[in-house]
Amino acid sequence: MTTAYPSERTLPANGSRVRAALRGIGRLFRRAPLSAFWGVIAALIVATAIAAPVVAPYPPLKSDFRAMQKPPSETHWFGTDQIGRDTLSRVIYGSRTSLTVAMGAVIFGTTLGALWGLACGYFGGRFDMASQRVIEFLQSFPDLILAMAIAMALGGGLGTVIVAIAITRIPFGGRVIRSVVLSLKEMQYVEAARGIGASHRRLMFRHILPQCVAPYLILATTHLGVAIVIEASLGFLGVGIPPPNPTWGNMLSDALNAGLVPPWWLVLFPGAAITLTVLAFNLLGDGIRDLLDPRLRGSI
Amino acid sequence: MYSYIARRLAFGALTVIGVSIMVFVVMRILPGDPLVAIFGPEGYTKLTDAQRESYMRELGLSDPLWVQYLAWVKDIIRGDFGHSFFRSESVADMILRRGPLTAEIALLSVVLSWLVGIPVAIVSALKPNTAADSIVRFLSILFLAVPGFWIGMLIVLGLLFWFGYRAPMAGASLFTDPWVNLQLVIGPAFVLGMGQAAYIARMGRSSLLEVIREDYVRTARAKGLNSRWVIALHALPNALLPVITLSGVLLGLVLAGSIPVERAFGTPGLGYSMFTAVYERDVFVMQNLVFLYSAVFVLLNIIVDLTIAFLDPRIRLR
Repeated sequence: MTTAYPSERTLPANGSRVRAALRGIGRLFRRAPLSAFWGVIAALIVATAIAAPVVAPYPPLKSDFRAMQKPPSETHWFGTDQIGRDTLSRVIYGSRTSLTVAMGAVIFGTTLGALWGLACGYFGGRFDMASQRVIEFLQSFPDLILAMAIAMALGGGLGTVIVAIAITRIPFGGRVIRSVVLSLKEMQYVEAARGIGASHRRLMFRHILPQCVAPYLILATTHLGVAIVIEASLGFLGVGIPPPNPTWGNMLSDALNAGLVPPWWLVLFPGAAITLTVLAFNLLGDGIRDLLDPRLRGSI
Repeated sequence: MYSYIARRLAFGALTVIGVSIMVFVVMRILPGDPLVAIFGPEGYTKLTDAQRESYMRELGLSDPLWVQYLAWVKDIIRGDFGHSFFRSESVADMILRRGPLTAEIALLSVVLSWLVGIPVAIVSALKPNTAADSIVRFLSILFLAVPGFWIGMLIVLGLLFWFGYRAPMAGASLFTDPWVNLQLVIGPAFVLGMGQAAYIARMGRSSLLEVIREDYVRTARAKGLNSRWVIALHALPNALLPVITLSGVLLGLVLAGSIPVERAFGTPGLGYSMFTAVYERDVFVMQNLVFLYSAVFVLLNIIVDLTIAFLDPRIRLR
């Protein structure tokens, strides 16, 4: 277990932030080799997604009518679907969509929620009361159902799916960061800064925000995994990104629409891709949490 | 206790009202034009202006929004959940016919999650950082990552492939044909139950680890009480309180998760209807089902909160 609380860590000297980040990664490898291993897997998945046109053996939309619904073979490692598209290539391209949606949803949803939580925790009072009610209303919907309703109302597409998932992430960001800010606000160094006449903006962004980075990072990595599962579920239910663009969810949906008995390779591989990706991000998140702030263990 | 119940119920009622407004806003105002949602962008452009107007009037969509909202609320209070565009059955009938199956699945999955999650949590907490503990922790993290509907598809495929078995397609009630009914619900309940069990095992483990360190547990041990009894009678009841709360939160996971899982298994429950409504862009059915699911979720959480208050005087007396 690490003993270095963020507040005790020595601040990086001028211009050595990159070195500090590298040191952080080095520490992750030494202290939590397992999490670091999954971090490498996550990085590989991201790299594959970026390099999809180079890595994928076939274009994802190209049908080969001589090889329709064929099981895995030397030419098509993951087999082909009903109209002869290569499953491996589609899984690789699917990672692009999944990761784009997940990152988009986290960047908009979790971040917006975090900033909202910062404002709620800092200002308190009526603004906080009203915000908490809105957040409670948002939380009284099961995640997936809210995302389904929004995605359906806005019509399918990349942007709407990102918005739909992002909205379900807002309350969590808000709650966690708010509680962190509430305890930070009472700390002596914040009081001292207020005493010497620092403005609200300076207090919020200069003194409180930096302390929220660790919980935010932990939350964001966990939410990446959740967002990937929600995106896959939306695709599976037919309100995600519409075909023919491959996503892991709509590939599974297509497999089920193919006939009474879906071919096993069309079911196995996209689902395994979801599981592996989510697992990698979750375990990486666990590692980051243990490293950055042992006090948060089990709380998020 | 009574004031706590009253406060909780009043707050619950307020939440349901808030939820209904939010559902209304999402389903009626966001789409811009509900006709686009119903007919699709292509179908919409083929309609003439007169047709559009008559459809709008027929559906009661030309009234001001607050009139529409109140009419909707009045319908729901009367128990009238409207009709689907594509089916003759009214939504209320559909809920009555298919709802019990989904409710059974949800209930059974919660029972399964406790039966699996709690023993695992105990083993894990009593021998922390051993091989068994590590395996359990990895498995629970794995189960958090696996999408339930995918496991469902694999189970269906596996049973068909190796045993040539397929669950019956038609719905059957628990009372008329319990055997067929069990075959329908066991698969989805298992998948959803294991998903929850992973959370419950994680939470149970950390909660039990905390409680075991408390003074009163040490006192019980010092009295010379058998270690097994200390855990079962002294530590476990207190350690289970946060797990009950978590179980309530997880009901959201079950309610929502049953939609893709029922599709994967082809279970004729309410979740499958929700999938059909989404797939067919059946806005009004969707609006009512989303409201129903969320209202049920709020209600169940009130029940969980009251149970906790009943069990834990610290909350009741606050």
